[in-house]
Amino acid sequence: MSFEELPHTADVKIRASAPTPGALFGEACSALMQVMYGDDRRGGVQRTIDLEAPDQESLLCDFLSEVLFVSEVDALVFCKADVCLDGLHLHAVLDGEPFDPLRHNRGTEVKGISYSGLNIRHDAKGYMLDIVFDV
Amino acid sequence: MIDGVVRREGDEWEIPAGFVPGMRVPGRFFLSDTLAALLEPGAVQQLANVATLPGIVRYALGMPDIHWGYGFPIGGVAAFALDEGVISPGGVGFDINCGVRLFTTPLAKADIKKPRELVESLYRAVPTGVGAKSQNKISPANLTAMMEKGARFAVEAGFGVERDLDRCEDRGCMKQADIRAVSPKARARGIPQGGTLGSGNHFLEVQEVSEIYDEVAAKAFGLKKGQVCCMIHCGSRGLGHQVCTDHLKDLETATKKYRIALPDRQLACAPIQSPEGKAYFGAMAASANYAWANRQLITDAARRQFMRMFSVAYEDLPLVYDVTHNVAKIEEYTVDGRRVPLCVHRKGATRSFGPGAPDLPADLAGIGQPVIIPGSMGTSSYVLKGTAAAMERTFGSTCHGSGRVMSRSQAKKKLTGKEVADQLLGQGIIVRAPNEAAIADEAPDVYKPSSEVVGVVARAGLSAPVARLTPIGVIKG
Repeated sequence: MSFEELPHTADVKIRASAPTPGALFGEACSALMQVMYGDDRRGGVQRTIDLEAPDQESLLCDFLSEVLFVSEVDALVFCKADVCLDGLHLHAVLDGEPFDPLRHNRGTEVKGISYSGLNIRHDAKGYMLDIVFDV
Repeated sequence: MIDGVVRREGDEWEIPAGFVPGMRVPGRFFLSDTLAALLEPGAVQQLANVATLPGIVRYALGMPDIHWGYGFPIGGVAAFALDEGVISPGGVGFDINCGVRLFTTPLAKADIKKPRELVESLYRAVPTGVGAKSQNKISPANLTAMMEKGARFAVEAGFGVERDLDRCEDRGCMKQADIRAVSPKARARGIPQGGTLGSGNHFLEVQEVSEIYDEVAAKAFGLKKGQVCCMIHCGSRGLGHQVCTDHLKDLETATKKYRIALPDRQLACAPIQSPEGKAYFGAMAASANYAWANRQLITDAARRQFMRMFSVAYEDLPLVYDVTHNVAKIEEYTVDGRRVPLCVHRKGATRSFGPGAPDLPADLAGIGQPVIIPGSMGTSSYVLKGTAAAMERTFGSTCHGSGRVMSRSQAKKKLTGKEVADQLLGQGIIVRAPNEAAIADEAPDVYKPSSEVVGVVARAGLSAPVARLTPIGVIKG
């Protein structure tokens, strides 16, 4: 399981990979949090998200948009997301901590999750996605 | 140049219809040879995609700071007929009414004996960076007023003067705002962030007017050589981002309902006159109003620091103008000899209304609208004036900034934030940010040279240079 930042002039493009679709969504969530808050993120506070969408790309966008919303409004920084996918239903348990301006000031705000260039695919090695965050 | 793109004349290029299937009009953009060498194929593809949208009038247009975005390219402008055209959040962006304003001071650079102290006091006065919360206690009723009244909300609450409204597009308020179309989620994000700067490319900069190109216009705008100014760049914060996210989802459904074929999901759209299109337009206008109120609150906080440190009066810190970068508006243009209202989308582009255009304050009617083009941290910003040529060629639009040439990940590899800050300090520019990465991300050489971009719009006649401003101190979000 991993994610990396790919070159993108204006925004942040992420490539993530994982053995299952649920884990892949979890990686995308970690990438989003890393871009926003840096890598010093701890657990202790949980939040759950339940969603459904007409297709997998929409489900991913909606999920990450919801993470963005919860993080901003509840001032929480998540270190982990356990995501269960049942068809196009998603159930996620997020683990995080309250925003700390001294430790979580190493990132940049993400304004939105873009559909442009969004791509989820799989091969014999597992699942992979490319996604662009507007910053 | 990218295969299939044709040079028309000078700095003007055309993407012929047929470059991608379904183009209804050609694409046109403006680039010098230097800037053309930096053009990304993705940006051309995105501009061609815009040309496939129903009801598009004349051209899909790209300004010289065009670059690869999502949906529309950044620097993209397109106008749509009200009867058969569409409205698309992908043509406005997540940061609705991200914009720039400039106010002047009666000070000269030499009057600022302790520039670092000024920068630090501005940094403390304006909440900045990820997770920053408003210092103003904004109630739900205040939020409603921000979305309905825009900049006037702040002025009526004591955060500005009536004249500030004369110096904003639409007097700082789009009347079409419909707060019923703004979700509770968007409201929840808007309350704690009123009066905050944000992060990324948003900034507050203390500058000096270093050169005047047009004495008459500079005088009308209130600019003098050697004068210290303050520029503010920010938008509608989480409220606008959420409005875009929410309506993008609704418009995706609408795209299917109205059987609109799209080359990119991020171009989700609906007919302007449809319930879905009207709901987005109303929510977008409410977000634009919030952004104007937000910039007004920040302006007030910055003005008070100048007053405290230099004993200057509030009225000695007048607003030059406030321009909007990400918006869709209804404006009238002459098409095939007839005046028609069009829905003009500007995404990373600035309105550039020429002399005699509607919406200009009476004292600027003969000059044209002030156009404010921010540079990057180390490079010059420019004030230009709107032109008749922009009204004819680009639906009254020009560039909005320099345009990035380097990704954030590349920028961080090249220089650390501290190295960038030290280099700028060597040039006499003080930078303050919540973290070093924010400085590295926005280093001067990750952007195209602002002088090159401004040179193209000046040669194409899309706006005319009035003054050049150089940075003294920068606050980055």
